[in-house]
Amino acid sequence: MSEPRKDLLQIADLTSEEVEHLLSAAQPFKELFRRSVKKVPTLQGKTVLSLFYEPSTRTSSSFEVAAKRLSADVTNLAVATSSVVKGESVLDTVDTLQAMRADYIIIRHKQAGIPNLVARHTGAAVINAGDGFHAHPTQALLDASTLYDVFGSANFSGKKVLIVGDILHSRVARSTSCILTKLGAEVGVLGPGTLVPEHRPEGMRKFSEFDEAFSWKPDVIYLLRVQFERQGEQFFPSAGEYHSVYGLTEGRLDRVRDEGIWVMHPGPVNRGVELADSVMGYERCLINRQVENGIAARMAVLYWLKPQLEPLNE
Amino acid sequence: MSNMILFKSASVASTRSKELEVCDVLVKEGRVESVAVNLEKKDGAKVIHAEGKVLLPGLFDLHVHFREPGQTSKENIFTGSEAAINGGVTGVVAMPNTAPAIDSGGLVRSVMDIAKRNARIPVYTTGCITKERKGIEMTPIAGMKSAGAVMLTDDGSPVSNPQLLRRAMEYAREFDLPLASHCETMELSGQGAMNEGRVSYQMGIPGIPAISEEICIARDIQIAEYTGAHLHIQHVTTARGMEIIRRAKNDGVHVTCEVAPHHLIFNEEHIIDYDTHFKMNPPLRTREDNERLVAGLIEGVFDVIATDHAPHTDFEKRQQDFASAPFGITGLETALPSLFHYFIKPGIFGWDLLVERYASQPRSILKFDEVAVAEGSVADLVLFDPAGATTFSREFMRSKASNTPFLDQTLDGSVDMVLSHGDILLERDAD
Repeated sequence: MSEPRKDLLQIADLTSEEVEHLLSAAQPFKELFRRSVKKVPTLQGKTVLSLFYEPSTRTSSSFEVAAKRLSADVTNLAVATSSVVKGESVLDTVDTLQAMRADYIIIRHKQAGIPNLVARHTGAAVINAGDGFHAHPTQALLDASTLYDVFGSANFSGKKVLIVGDILHSRVARSTSCILTKLGAEVGVLGPGTLVPEHRPEGMRKFSEFDEAFSWKPDVIYLLRVQFERQGEQFFPSAGEYHSVYGLTEGRLDRVRDEGIWVMHPGPVNRGVELADSVMGYERCLINRQVENGIAARMAVLYWLKPQLEPLNE
Repeated sequence: MSNMILFKSASVASTRSKELEVCDVLVKEGRVESVAVNLEKKDGAKVIHAEGKVLLPGLFDLHVHFREPGQTSKENIFTGSEAAINGGVTGVVAMPNTAPAIDSGGLVRSVMDIAKRNARIPVYTTGCITKERKGIEMTPIAGMKSAGAVMLTDDGSPVSNPQLLRRAMEYAREFDLPLASHCETMELSGQGAMNEGRVSYQMGIPGIPAISEEICIARDIQIAEYTGAHLHIQHVTTARGMEIIRRAKNDGVHVTCEVAPHHLIFNEEHIIDYDTHFKMNPPLRTREDNERLVAGLIEGVFDVIATDHAPHTDFEKRQQDFASAPFGITGLETALPSLFHYFIKPGIFGWDLLVERYASQPRSILKFDEVAVAEGSVADLVLFDPAGATTFSREFMRSKASNTPFLDQTLDGSVDMVLSHGDILLERDAD
């Protein structure tokens, strides 16, 4: 095991050994949640600041719960709604945080590469909570952690995961496919021609329709959240057409059930678009497990990273 | 009393031969007086021992941004022209995308006035094709020409409306002014910040597809062919775009084009950790494009090398994320050493090509007198030491800006001396 890192910016930076370490480190935290006292004193006296330049309830509260269960002091800067958004540069805000002696900075921003920029300018540990289309490494870790539970090991070789939807604009697709590949799984993608990039990472298979993808025998179908419109640009004709071609419909659910395929989604789901209502009640639907594992995975990350703050001189 | 300078045993570079010719060169009264083997020493002449050094004509850059008026926190005509001198460039053409944009005779005149006052080398200016570069109304082209504009361009943006571009070409044609095109199809570029491809996907940065540039090149060439105007395509980056130009040239269309050193040297794979020093528009493309553009340069598809020197402040480039940082890198100080380091030294092309494409042709496109290391030519000269080295530290650079991928890097070769009209503008201590 190499030295702990200062930052978690993208899964691509991690060795498979480091990924496996984080997955095993998350396991005891999952156990912890079954107890009545869910808190450990590991980060007592440490300050965690979260900067969400994009609105988010799930990810930011998941980080908050994770940090609190490690006994850290947590403050959320509501930058998405405050005057910070206009005028003040992200690095100006980070300077302010430096002055507050934050040990950990959790950041989400609509521009790719912002966490990388921030990490270069602070001694605090920086955790990327989603940057533009680029990366969402803790989502990848919680997804892998969820599959670790169902596959029973961190070795995913021989497993096949089909990611369905907007591959082009999805940081989840990038990070999750990256971690799955690191752990030995094969990744295939399916989605509208406008939303599946021509230049894909090596080894990522592309399917044109669900039947073709089913015959590849995936173990997991990972549905991505659909955005209907991006800056006025249209990528598919309608939500109805999307559902009928790329959605997990009632009819497709029968086949999924017959073949015992696991179903995942990063949330929040658009019912009737990415999936039919009944999918939420399907016994191999892992969506709630993903949320639960998000806290454990984020605790493992906070626990592992090492801030490099210089001590203040008198 | 005018200073005489005698270069002893200089290796003279010219368009005539791939080989350098070892000669003595005497400069007198601002002109090259004689070039011969073993010239006698003249009384009062300053003698430069130039053994092993290359003497070439002063370079001429057809595409620079000096940001004056209005954006002088990035650069101004003084600092920009000093940067040019530092890189062996003795004449430049400034782009009109300043604030305000150079879109009237009065603005052209004011830029020319500042240049005469503040610059030690000739600085020419372009004028916009459309008012405020908005692509809606034609500028007073005749007025700008008589004030001294040497070319028309909306550089930084294309003229998206083909009818307006056609009218501008028909009108400008009669004034013998070339139109320079920044080729881009805005709807295809969208919010793009780098080449669309494997690397942009991994980085999660919206891409600018090659077809954005290629479609506009093809369209502008067709309009030029239809109108008979002289079209100059700026900063070509894709092999396919270059092939469109090659075909048009073979068909007799009056089209010239330029390539920037960074598009020959770098590609998208050099963009590591969101380094904004590799962000420019048009963007760095692929390794294959690098190779094919170099081949096209050697084959003569590209008439000129031009840097697109695009200075920005440290805040803009280094304190902002990749998508928010402005496009552009500086180039005037690094062009000659980088072309030497990557191409001439390894033998990929010779000094003759560099002189042809970076000194001779750019002047010829503007119908200026030829500058050469030859008797009777204006004495714009550069003495370059191929055994030297240059480190592009902040202290070395004369530009206000240092947004270059070569920042703090060392390249082979060194610009030791620069003359403009016989005056020594730069003489670097040899140590």
